[in-house]
Amino acid sequence: MKKCEAFIIGGSAGSLEVLLKVFPVIDSAISFPIIIVIHRKQGNDSMLADLLSSRTSLPVKEVDEKEKILPGTIYIAPSDYHLLIEQDHTFSLDYSEKVNYSRPSIDVTFQTAAEVYKDGLVCLLLSGSNSDGVNGLKSVKLWDGIAAIQNPDTAQVSYMPAQAQQHVKIDKVLNIEEIGGFLNLLS
Amino acid sequence: MSMSKKVFVFDDNADILELCTIILEDAGYDIKTSSTSNNIIDQVLSFIPDIIFMDNWLPDVGGIDATKELKQHATLKNIPVIYFSANNDVKALAEQAGADGYLSKPFDIQELEDIIIKHI
Repeated sequence: MKKCEAFIIGGSAGSLEVLLKVFPVIDSAISFPIIIVIHRKQGNDSMLADLLSSRTSLPVKEVDEKEKILPGTIYIAPSDYHLLIEQDHTFSLDYSEKVNYSRPSIDVTFQTAAEVYKDGLVCLLLSGSNSDGVNGLKSVKLWDGIAAIQNPDTAQVSYMPAQAQQHVKIDKVLNIEEIGGFLNLLS
Repeated sequence: MSMSKKVFVFDDNADILELCTIILEDAGYDIKTSSTSNNIIDQVLSFIPDIIFMDNWLPDVGGIDATKELKQHATLKNIPVIYFSANNDVKALAEQAGADGYLSKPFDIQELEDIIIKHI
């Protein structure tokens, strides 16, 4: 693959504990942005960014509309908006219908990112209880990006990564303690 | 070795419960959570926390009635109850419930820890 231009992590139930273990391992000199899309309800946005920020020296911020995507920054999708990646490497937030009963939908972010970053994209799907993200990973593969999942055996809720494994040609199946190292090697 | 202070959080939002658990365990508290205020007295008696966080909107028995029940109990009435809600009227709701304090959602980690320290 060519150099990683963006690393996107999608997750649902059981994914926060994974992020909390992975964040301290991430190299502070990484050369690409990390974008996090996890399903959650409204009302705890600042607390989540705060908590994740306490586990890394990299800047962690919630995405603002039309914001430019910068390397070395960790972005979190705000609750209740779809997070789209635009061709000019900016974000846009969208309040349209839920996809897979979810907003933000992991599929939406993976799919829009796949067309932008093509073979420079790596997407990782974590623990979760629905199949959001599976179609997104299919798009990632269509555009020659890398599709990775958390090993379903290590997931608190295995359904989401297991569905991906069943329906998509997955490049990497990672145990929780392998995720940080995998990410650092892409830099 | 000193015993950890105990915090009981009532909220029907599982994300809030998960975040509060991680944050307060990090800060050295012993935490228990519940998504319902049914049988509030039994629930609280089973843990005897040093402080309680009560969400306004809870299924069946809402936060106001649950807090009132606690405040009418002979011994549990002395446990501080912090009312929390995204409702603009959180202060008035806390007063109506007879809570000892309130916290507006969304709140950050510091606000959560500060209000605990203030009350216990």
